[in-house]
This record gives sequence, structure tokens and C-alpha cells, in this order.
Amino acid sequence: MTSPLRIWSLPWALRYLKHEVLALPGRTAALLFVLFLLLFPLFSQDPYLLRVLTLTALFALYAASWDLLSGYTGQVSLGHAFFFGLAGYASAILGRELGLPPALTIPSGALLATLAGVLVGLPSLRLRGPYLSLVTLAFPIIATGLIFLFPRFTGGELGLSGLPRLGQSRLEEYYLVVGIFLLSVLFLWKLAGSRVGLFFHAIREDEVAVRMVGVNTVRYKLLAFAVSAFFAGLSGGLHAHYLRVAGPDSLSLFNSIQPVIWSVFGGIATIYGPVAGTFLLFPFLEALRVAEELRMLAFALLILLVMRFLPQGVVRGVLERLEEECPRCKVKNAFTRKACRACGVPLHLEAREVKP
Amino acid sequence: MVRMAALVLGLVLGGGSLAQVLRIGVVGPMAFVQGEHTWYGATLAAEELNRAGGVLVGNQRYRIELVRVDTNEMTSVTDAATAVERAITAQRVDFLIGGFRSEAVLAMTEVAADYKKPFIITGAALDGILAGRVDRNYERFKYLFRVSPTKSSDLARTSLLLLGEVIQAVRRDLRIERPKVAILAERAAWADPLVETASRLIAAPPPQGYGAEVAGTWRPSATATDVTPELTAIQRAGAQVIFTVLSGPVGVPFGRDWGRLKIPAAAVGINVEAQQETWLKATDNLGAYVATLNTLAPAVAITPKTIPFITNFQARFKQFPIYTASGAYGALYILAEALNRAGTTAADAVVRALEATDYTGPAGRIVFDKTHDVTWGPGYTTGLGVQWVEGRMQAFWPRNWRVGDRVVSYAGVRPYQLPPWVVEAWRR
Amino acid sequence: MLSAILVNGLVLSGIYGMLALGFALTYGVARILNLAHTAFYMAAAYGLFFFLGRMGFAPAALLASLLVLLIALAAYKLLLEPLREHEATVLIVTIALALLLQEAVLLLFGAHFRSVPALLPGFVEVFGVRVAQQALLALLFAGVVLLLAWALLKGTRLGLGIRAAAQDQEAAELVGISLSRAGNWAVGLGAFLAALAGLAVAPMATLEPHMWNAPLLVVLAAVVLGGLGSLPGALLGAVVLAFAEVTVVNLVPGGAFLRTAVALLILVLVLVFRPEGLFGTAFAEER
Repeated sequence: MTSPLRIWSLPWALRYLKHEVLALPGRTAALLFVLFLLLFPLFSQDPYLLRVLTLTALFALYAASWDLLSGYTGQVSLGHAFFFGLAGYASAILGRELGLPPALTIPSGALLATLAGVLVGLPSLRLRGPYLSLVTLAFPIIATGLIFLFPRFTGGELGLSGLPRLGQSRLEEYYLVVGIFLLSVLFLWKLAGSRVGLFFHAIREDEVAVRMVGVNTVRYKLLAFAVSAFFAGLSGGLHAHYLRVAGPDSLSLFNSIQPVIWSVFGGIATIYGPVAGTFLLFPFLEALRVAEELRMLAFALLILLVMRFLPQGVVRGVLERLEEECPRCKVKNAFTRKACRACGVPLHLEAREVKP
Repeated sequence: MVRMAALVLGLVLGGGSLAQVLRIGVVGPMAFVQGEHTWYGATLAAEELNRAGGVLVGNQRYRIELVRVDTNEMTSVTDAATAVERAITAQRVDFLIGGFRSEAVLAMTEVAADYKKPFIITGAALDGILAGRVDRNYERFKYLFRVSPTKSSDLARTSLLLLGEVIQAVRRDLRIERPKVAILAERAAWADPLVETASRLIAAPPPQGYGAEVAGTWRPSATATDVTPELTAIQRAGAQVIFTVLSGPVGVPFGRDWGRLKIPAAAVGINVEAQQETWLKATDNLGAYVATLNTLAPAVAITPKTIPFITNFQARFKQFPIYTASGAYGALYILAEALNRAGTTAADAVVRALEATDYTGPAGRIVFDKTHDVTWGPGYTTGLGVQWVEGRMQAFWPRNWRVGDRVVSYAGVRPYQLPPWVVEAWRR
Repeated sequence: MLSAILVNGLVLSGIYGMLALGFALTYGVARILNLAHTAFYMAAAYGLFFFLGRMGFAPAALLASLLVLLIALAAYKLLLEPLREHEATVLIVTIALALLLQEAVLLLFGAHFRSVPALLPGFVEVFGVRVAQQALLALLFAGVVLLLAWALLKGTRLGLGIRAAAQDQEAAELVGISLSRAGNWAVGLGAFLAALAGLAVAPMATLEPHMWNAPLLVVLAAVVLGGLGSLPGALLGAVVLAFAEVTVVNLVPGGAFLRTAVALLILVLVLVFRPEGLFGTAFAEER
């Protein structure tokens, strides 16, 4: 190295790429994944494939939002569809009553979901474990009851249809959703890795201890509820406008359980785990359409098998085998390396045969 | 992987056919009887049409090829919309028939409208699937048609006529001048106008109304698994008749509990579960004497095509057809005739030809109205009233139905019978 | 009206209570939130349906419950026990298990609605309210099962072990109680109770592959309302929910569809004021 590299200059970026991204299988996969999403339309603009990817991205954001709340803080929500569906309905009703475009109504719906997140979070502050899960489970069902109570306003079992489209073509919608998805997940990931995320982790592990060191856990739990609900609402609003129907189906138990399945499958408390889980499972379920009768059976079997052997989730399970931590400086290394890329300590201490 | 699968499937389904082929997607929840019968009905029609040499469009003969599209619409509306987009783009179907759950049909028809593919609905009853869409936004939604069932406001008309028949029987056999009618309607948007009209009509003096009394209105959920509290309350309200408006699975627990507790009130109206051949098995034979609106009934010739259709269907699939079967069967013939008249497969021309449809099918005569919906009325499509007696489905309406100066009666229709325990409880 | 609420509420309590007991037992001892519990109940109902076509009621009921017991123990040994440390994973494994059973039933029997004949057909009038005899049987059954489970847990050495494991796993292990044996027993008993519920309640339920969904919600709500892990609590929760539902139907006939929503609203309200449920106790290890 002759002269110091300027940060963000091209040579710096190349070096960073080589030593900090390509050196690790996990980061390489993430890079390839983002490139794949951004460049996919160059190879195929098949509307069906674009639709599957758009929906997957949308649901991946939904799963990641669940993970922020449930994976990190341990407040396992079994009623996330409440935020998802509520935002869809709110966006549809705002569009209908005020004639606003989706660009305004979807964020408004997400903000309303945020409010709902805080409201659900409040009673949950006193509750723990399964009790909390069950209370969250109740909310979308109560909301469904209300929807059927006011059919003139909500459309009853039919829902609200004819919502405006997100974009003019499947391609436009694809880039819009993928863009929002990537930015949102980046935000969630940064948040989870920040000091705030550390508190989230700590609350899950031992809330009393966190409180004892002077952290206002109430505030952090509500924050987790609010942020999680916002992004769940965002994906719910996008989903409603993508399908152009906001209906009671979006509040169903099935829709509450889905993000849990995707997230746990990928690996909780990672943000990227749920994303990976969704991108593996949702297209897999689509591919299974060729065997319609065995579709759900195969889906259930796959989950059972994978969870049995990789209980921490696919991503963590695989990464643990592909990357290892240097025992001295705690830097991650690809499993192929013999010595740590940062400090040079040998990674595999094989028991040497001692000759007498 | 998805792409590979789609490609392989495309080759299997689309490749190797030298003759011209019309690809028609049959959409529905295939794990459920409604979807299954949509597929069966369409299959029967396609086989008949192909055997007769296919469809003549212009001077070109087309063979019909059906593509089975499982929508999974009962569990997921998202899945249903995706299935339709896949059918149109990856499986390259040109026309679609089917659809059952209203919320899902709304989402599916949006996709079909995006691609300007004609979609003939054969299973969802809600008015709003066509009304308010085809008339207000014709250019976008002109591709949507419905052949079965009749829209829910028309189902209401038929079911109220059935109610009238039962109220008459109560007057005649039980000598109760002002019978009490309890309304048991599932909580659903489609049922609301029906409840309103029924309440008005029951209480209104004849000849417009029935001169009876409303004993109360109960609105369980369409998916409730137990209606004993409702039935107890109805019994205590002293009703002689229960007017049911049930399309969901709640119809089964209703029939079972009603028969087991021998609730002394005759059940009539709409009960979609009781329209199926499996009704008595589903209710452990406790659903006997339940009466409901239906589309077909054994040995009742609505049109000359009814009996042959039922016979062929039973020979081929060993089941009695439900309305989605006759609907899909009719839809395919209507489509074939429209293609023939249009002389081209171009969607817009086919839509114009479809609008001019006048087709007599197994369930009645089908003429589309302004919103592309089936016309209801004597001489068109009205449906039947059926009742479960002596272990089978027996039609009781229309029998000497007077409309203006004409009288409508079908062969094989017998009078309505009150359940014996109702007679026993109320006879003076 | 009052008698209708009373009688119908009591009968519904029996049905709900029967379903909730096994779930409460499994959670109480093995600490497994078994979302497949009502799928076991479905399996028992279908098992009964299948065997009834071939033999009398007693052998059919026996075979059906053995079948469910076998499924549950196999699932526990192969899937749940090795994963016990991963709570979230256990949760979705039980969901996947329920889905698997649902799809298996769908493949074997189709989606058609079916029914099982009642052991006691007909009805009796109680305070002028008609009640199916089978429903009374289920109520009786629930009472007897509760008493037996009570006797087992309080009166035998095995019960002592199970309760010890439920209270403090580590301490129990220290005094020589085999956690895996206690877990086996708890899961087996829980599944067996689900099977009994299936046999008692099946004649009043419609058999179809999704029949486990609706009762699952009720069971979860009842168990949480009563306090997780407490058997009398589960029964009390079932009673509260059942009466809430029946009261809604009787007082607001036009709002009968709201019965589940109202019941769940009560659940939320109760938990806000008593976060550990009516009978629940906070265990030291969970604090």
C-alpha cells in the first residue's frame, strides 16, 4: 500500500469488496442476492415470475418486521396480520374517501398500523411468553368481527376492491416493491445491529437484568412494537394495492402464522434469516403447483425435516458450517481458510501427534 | 426452478399438438367439491365438443384443451390471484371459467382484466362482482360474465318464493293463520339485503307480502361450528318456520342440530351445504326435511338438456352435479358458440358475441343482462326448491307457479312436506 | 332466557373443557405449546369414522385413540424432544405437524363433510331447553376425566414426578426425576385426552380436514384465560368462554357472529388485569 486509500473511492470499494465481502460466504450470498433482485428483469420479464418475486419481497419485509419484534425482543406475536390487514384496509378507505393516491395512502396506513402497534403493545407490557402471544392472536380476530359488523364501510366478507395499482406495469411494480423492500430491510438490519437492537436482544434474554441496569424497557418494547407494526403495515398496504383487494383474508389466522413460519425457517433474530426463509419457502410453494394435491403436504414435510436438523433456521445452520469465528480476534472467516484473515492465528488447532 | 417447472409444464401441455388448440383455464378450489365440480362440468363439455369435431372459428377447427388451475382460494386470496396470472402467462390460457369464493374472485378478475382475458364466473353469487364494475368501467371489466349461480339478489327472490310455499303449507296443515318466521342468516354482506327484504315481506299483508310474523333474526358466523344456542332461542321464540340464509359450512351444524333437537320449525331458504348429494352423510341423516334452493334436482327436467346432462355426469363421475358443474358445462358451450359466431378468437370480438348469447343449458335459459349477469325469471333461469325426503333430494318448486298469465311447473316436482315433528308440535 | 343461557352454556363448557384439558396438561408438564393438539383431536374423530365402518364402537374407539397416541409419541420422540430448547422452532414444528395431519386427512378422505353417529342419539329437555344427550355425555366425560387426571397427578408417584417436572425442571432432575420420562407421560396423556375429546365431541362436530382450526382458537383462549399449565384453570377458562358466547347469542341475536370476537375480547381484558390468567402462577424459572 503506497498511499492511504480514500474512503468511498473506487480502489477502496474494490478492496473492500475483495477483503470484506467476497472473503465471507454469507456476505457474498447477500451481495449476489441483491444483484439478482436488481438485475432479474434483464433476463426475464415474465409477468408470472415477476409477480412471484414481487410477492416474495413483500412478504419477506413482512417476515422481517415480525422478526424485529418477536425474534429480537422475544415478544412472540401470533397476530401480526392485524397490522398487515389494518394498513391495507386503511389505505383502501383513505383512497376511497379522500381520493388520495397510493403513494400517500400506503404510508398513512403504515402509520396507523404503527399506532395500532403501540396500542397492542400497551396491554402486552404486563404479559409474558405465551400469554402475550395469545393476546396478539386475539386482535386480528376481533378486527375481523368489527369488519363484519360494519359491512357498509368495510365491504364485509368481500373486502374493498378496485384499489389503484402500484405502477403501470408488472415491471414498474416489481422495482417499486423490491426497492422499498431492500431499503426497509437495510433499515431494520441497521436498527437491529445498533445499540437499540442490543437492548432488544437483552430484553429477550433477561428483562429484569436490563431494567436493573437502568434501561427503560417499557420504552424499548413499545418501540419494537411500533417499528415492527410500521413495516408490517407497509407491506400490508403494498400487498392490498398489488392485489387491488383489501379483504378479511389479510386478517386471517393463516396470514398471522405465515411470517412465523418463514422467519423461524430462516432463523430468528437475524433479519436476514426471515428474508432468506421467505425467499426459499414462498417460491418453493409456487413451484409445488405442479403437484397440486401434494403441495401442502410437501410443504409441511419440508418444514418438519429442515427444522429437525437445523433448529436454528436454515441461514444460521448453513452459515455456522460455512463461516467460523477466529478464536482470538472474533473476526468471521470462511471455513476454507486455515488462518484468520485479520490476525493470522491458525483456525484449526489439530491435535498434533506428540512423538516421544 | 419455477421457470424450469413452468417450461416443462408448458411443453407437456402445449407442445406436440399440430391442430389448432383453444386453451381454457378452469379455476377453482380443487380440493373442495365446488372446484372439483367446476372441473368435472367443464371436462364433460370439452369432451362432448371435441368428440363433435371441436369448435369452428372462422374456417379453422379448434380442439379444446382444459388447463386445471387450482386456486387454493379458500385459504389464500393471494394464492388465487397468482394462480390466475400463472395460468394466463405461463400456461397461456386464452379464456377462463370458474371461481367460487367472492373475495378471491374479485382479486382474480382484476388480473384477468389486466390481461383482457374473458372470464366466465360459475361459482360466486355476489352482485358486486359484476354490478358496479361492468356497467361503470365497461372498457376494463367487459371481459367478465356470469352464468351461475344467479346473482345473490336473484337467489333472494327464489328463496323468498320457497318461503312462501312453506308458509302456505303451515297455514294449510297446521291451521295457523299468522305463522312466526325466524330468520337465521349468516353474517355476510350478500345476506344483508336478503334479510332486509325477507323481514319486510314476511310481515307485509298479502298479496304483496306473506302476512306472517318475524320471530327474530339471528346472524351466526358463516363458519360457526355450533348453532345450538341460536336454535334454542328460535324454539323459545315460538317460530313455526326458519328461513335460512346459509352459504358457508355453518349449514351442516345447523342441519344436524336442528334434526337432533327436533326443533319444531320447518327449515327453508338457502343452505348451500344441503344442495349437495352428501348432505345426509354430512349430517348423520339428521338433515332430513331441510329445504333449500338448488340448481338441479334428480329427475326434474328444467330444459330438454337437463336429464341428459345429469345422466352423463353421473355415468362419468359417479356423483350428482352441483351448480358449479352445470355452470361450467354451460359456460363452455356458451363460449364455444360465441367463438363460432365471432369467427375469431380475438377477445374483444368474442366479448361482443358473448353479449348476444341466448343459450338453453341444463339449468335453464341463459341470456346476459347489461352487467353481463344471468337474467332471472320464468323462461330464463330461476333455480329450484328441493327438500330432503325419504333419503333423497326431491324438488317441490316451481309447482303451479303463477307469474302474470303463465303457470310454471316442471315434471317431477312434488308438494312440500312439513317435518312430522313440526306437525306434531303445532297441530291443534 | 336465563335457563337457555345456563343449560347451553354448561353444555358448551363441557365440549370446550374436554378439548382444553389435554392441551393444558401437555403445556404444564412438557412446556410445549402444542398447536397440533386439536389436529390430534381431528385424527381421533377421523379414526373413529374410519374404524366404525369396520367394527363396533368400543374397538373402533380404542383403535382410534391408540392411533392418536402413536402419532403423538412418535412426533414427540422424533421431532419435539430434540428441539425443546428452541421454543419458536417447536411452535412451527407443531403447526407443520397439524398441516401434515390436515393434508393427510384430505388425501385419504377428501374435503367432503362427514359425520360420526352419536353414541346416545336424541335429546332431553332440561329446564325446558332441548339438549342433545351426546352433549350431556361429553359434559359428564369432561368431569370424569378431570377427576381422573387430578387423582393421577395428586395421588400417584408418577403424578408427583410430573408435577415436580412442571414446577422446576432442574430441581426435579436433581432429585432423580427423569425429565424425558415425565415428558413422555405428559405428551402421551395430553394426546390421549385429545383423542378422548375427539371420541366424545365428534358426533357433535362436522368432520372435515380443517375442523381443527376453530377449536384450536378456543382451546388456546381457554387455557390462557385459566392460567397456563393449570388443569382447573383450563376448565374454568372453558366455562367462561362458553358462557360468554352463549350469552352473546341470547342477548344480541343479530350479533351472534360476534361470539368468538367477544369471547376473545374478554380474554384480552382479563389478561390485562391478571397477566398470569385466573389460576396461573408465575414460576421462578420464568421470571
